[in-house]
Formats: sequence, C-alpha cells, structure tokens
Amino acid sequence: MENIKIKTRNLNFYYNKKQALFDISMDIPEKKVTALIGPSGCGKSTFLRTLNRMNDLIEDIKVEGDIFIDGVNIYKDNIDVVELRKRVGMIFQKSNPFPKSIYDNVAYGPRIQGIKDKTTLDEIVERSLRRSALWDEVKDELKKSALMLSGGQQQRLCIARALAIDPEILLMDEPASALDPISTTKIEDLIFELKMNYTIVIVTHNMQQAARVSDYTGFFYMGKLIEFDETRIMFTSPKEKQTEDYITGRFG
Amino acid sequence: MQKHFEQELESLKTNIVKMASIVDEMVENALTALETSDLELCKKIKAKDREIDAYDNLIKTQCENILALFQPFAVDLRFILTSLMVNNQLERCGDIAVNITQRVKPLINHYDLVVESKIIDMVKFSKQMFKEAIDSFINRDLELANKVCGEDNVVDGYNKNIFYYLIDKMKEKHELIEPASHLMILSRHVERLADHSTNIAEDVIFMISAEIVSHKHKLMKWAEKEQSKNQLETEE
Repeated sequence: MENIKIKTRNLNFYYNKKQALFDISMDIPEKKVTALIGPSGCGKSTFLRTLNRMNDLIEDIKVEGDIFIDGVNIYKDNIDVVELRKRVGMIFQKSNPFPKSIYDNVAYGPRIQGIKDKTTLDEIVERSLRRSALWDEVKDELKKSALMLSGGQQQRLCIARALAIDPEILLMDEPASALDPISTTKIEDLIFELKMNYTIVIVTHNMQQAARVSDYTGFFYMGKLIEFDETRIMFTSPKEKQTEDYITGRFG
Repeated sequence: MQKHFEQELESLKTNIVKMASIVDEMVENALTALETSDLELCKKIKAKDREIDAYDNLIKTQCENILALFQPFAVDLRFILTSLMVNNQLERCGDIAVNITQRVKPLINHYDLVVESKIIDMVKFSKQMFKEAIDSFINRDLELANKVCGEDNVVDGYNKNIFYYLIDKMKEKHELIEPASHLMILSRHVERLADHSTNIAEDVIFMISAEIVSHKHKLMKWAEKEQSKNQLETEE
C-alpha cells in the first residue's frame, strides 16, 4: 500500500454562490504522479489550486470539507499559507520567468527565505537546475536573461525555481500544453525523474500524456470526481461508463 | 475526428466479418468435398486462400494505422488488439480448410472408413464452434463466447476416439494403414480448427470484459501443483 501524502475529504468549493467542486474525497499517494483529467470547466484546476490554497487569492470563494497533507488539515486557521506554498510548489501552463537572469530566477525563492550566502545560493541554483534537467544547457550563461530561453527551457526554469525552495509536492497545471513535442518529452522525462523525490499532481488535457506520465488518474466531470484509480486501469478498463466515454472520445 | 475514427473501426469490423464469412464458406465447402469426394471443389477452396491472405494483410495495415493515428484507449484499444488476434486465427482457419481438402483425394476410395470414424461429425461440430465464435465477435456476445470455450473438450474427445478407432482398424487390416494415417492427420487439423475457434472466443471475452482467460485453466492447475509441491517440501 502506498503512503498517502494528500488526503481530501468531502471537499466542496464555491466561486461566489456557484459550486465548482462536489464532495471530493481522494487519496493522493506520496512520490507518485497523479493526473487529473476531464473536460474544460470540470473542476480539475480548481481542485489542484485548493491543494496549496491558491484559490484563497480569489474573492468570494468558500471551501468546505478537509484537505490533509501528511495528516495536517491545511484549511485550519493556524496554517501559515506562505509556509504551505513552500511545501507545495506550482507550475503553470504558461511559463512565467521573472525578467531577471537565469541565476536570479532560481535564487529568488531562497533569497526571500533569507539565504544570502553566495556559496549556498550557488549550490541551490546548480542542484535545482540539474534536477530540472536544464543545467547542461545553461551552466555557461547563468547571467543571461531568462527571457532569452526557449519556451521549453523557460518551463524547466520555472520547475527549477519551484524546486529551489525544496518543496515536497509539485502541482502542475498543463505544464507542457504550450510546448513542442521535443520540449514536451523533456518535461515528461523530468516528471518521471522528479517523482523519486516529490509527490506530483498534474492537470492535463492530453490523454496520452496522462497515460504516459502518471501512476494514478482521477477523472473529473462537472465538479465531481467520477473515478480515481491506477492509470493502468483507468486507460484500459475503467469501471465507470462516463470515464470510458471520455477517454475514448465519445463524450457528450 | 471522432466520426473519422468510428468509420475506421466500422471498416475494420466489416473486413473481419468479410474475411470470416469466406473462411466459414471454405470450411463448409471442405466438409462437402470430404463428404462427396469433390476434387473440383477442393481446387476452389485452395484458390480462396489467396483472398484470405489479402484480407490478413489489409486488416494488419488497418490496425496499425488506427493505433498510430488515433491512439485508442480502453474498449477501443481492446477491439483493435482483438481484431489483430482474430485476424491471425482466421488466417490459420483458412489454412486448415485447405489442409482438409488435401486429404480428400487419398480418402476417395475409403468412404466407409471416413463415415465410421465419425470425422464428419467432428468437422460439423468444429465448424459450428467456429461459426459461434465469429458470431460472438460480431454481436459482442459474452455468453456465446463462454459457450464456445466450454466446447473444446468435446472436440478433444472426438480426436481421441477417432485415433483409437483408427489404430484398431489398422491392426485389423494392414491395407487401411495409409487411409487411416490420412484420417489421423485430418482429425488433427479439425482439432486445430476447434482450438482456433476457442482462441477467437477467448479473444472476444477479453474484448468485452477486459479479462484475459487464455491459459487460465492451465496456469491455475500449474499454480495448484506448485503450491502442493511446496507444501510437501515444507512438511518434509
């Protein structure tokens, strides 16, 4: 049996009065890749953002139910949200490097955390860039602007930036949807490497990608978690007809 | 895109049905040729085998194209995999029909031996199994597929009885050694026809229920044997 890193129980989520998530109970295993699939507007990205309370930044939202990370309820009042987001990093669909050098992008988080020692920062930058499989491509031009990098490199830089603050969980919201097939392969290979050390939750519209990179898959539809199982089962013999209809393209 | 995909699946299914109906006709004609010693019919059956070979290649190409272009999942993926497997079985069943015709000429003057050996009954039974296996594929009929899987023992029984009957005949009359040998080979071919029909039915069960039943019985028996062997070793 896998260790459960994230546990959601009867999670309901509302934007103003509109309910976007209905009674989601899900166990996300540690150091595995969990993919969330479903049609646009099904709630998968909303669910992803509840896991590091990114939705708190939106006005008029309401959350009911519980989310536990390592057994601790992250929606309790005494939780430090900044601390939570250090543990739960996020990578978005569109890479968003700061208009700074490659080095400064990666060193940004550690500096905010108060690390000033140059040697320590150098080590963190190198380790993070190595882990994000970008080091060999940029090691001689760390002072160059991050905006000079290609789309795929920028996305891996954003992953390095997330890794620099040593998270335990990585949330990825369609991290390769804007990339060409070669960059996509690099990101997917990277996800495979990263799961040795991190728990990864990825939202993707690309069914083949979900099948390739994930160990577990959850299918969302109209704010509900219709089915959650091992990816191998979800893409060969799902139990719910709605899941089968969606993955075989017979939806709606 | 989905419509295009559905059309491809439909076209694949149509080609398998066409191929199956040719094989069915070949087996039916092989039976008639055996019963009537019709050598002209044997030639026609052999000519049909070329059509089967052409369908075999066409279906393989269609499956490859669908896998490459549409990357199907779940029920669709199982349909493609099953189509590939059924195609393979059908091609071999076509070969068996030709194999049967090759025994017609040597048995032309031994009609009594053919009838008394019950080989005709065996061919009829195996042919019915083949037909039902194909029907189970076309109609996605799990019950019928399970029925076919349960009938393989009957054909094995026919094969065994025919073998011992022919051994006795050969002992009685040495001049029957040659035709009886041909009949033994024929019986083996017919037994293979039933095996392929069972394989098709097993593939259909996989297609419908995602359950792999091939070799299940054999593997379970082997596991039981291993378990009792280990138990004995532990007790010792």
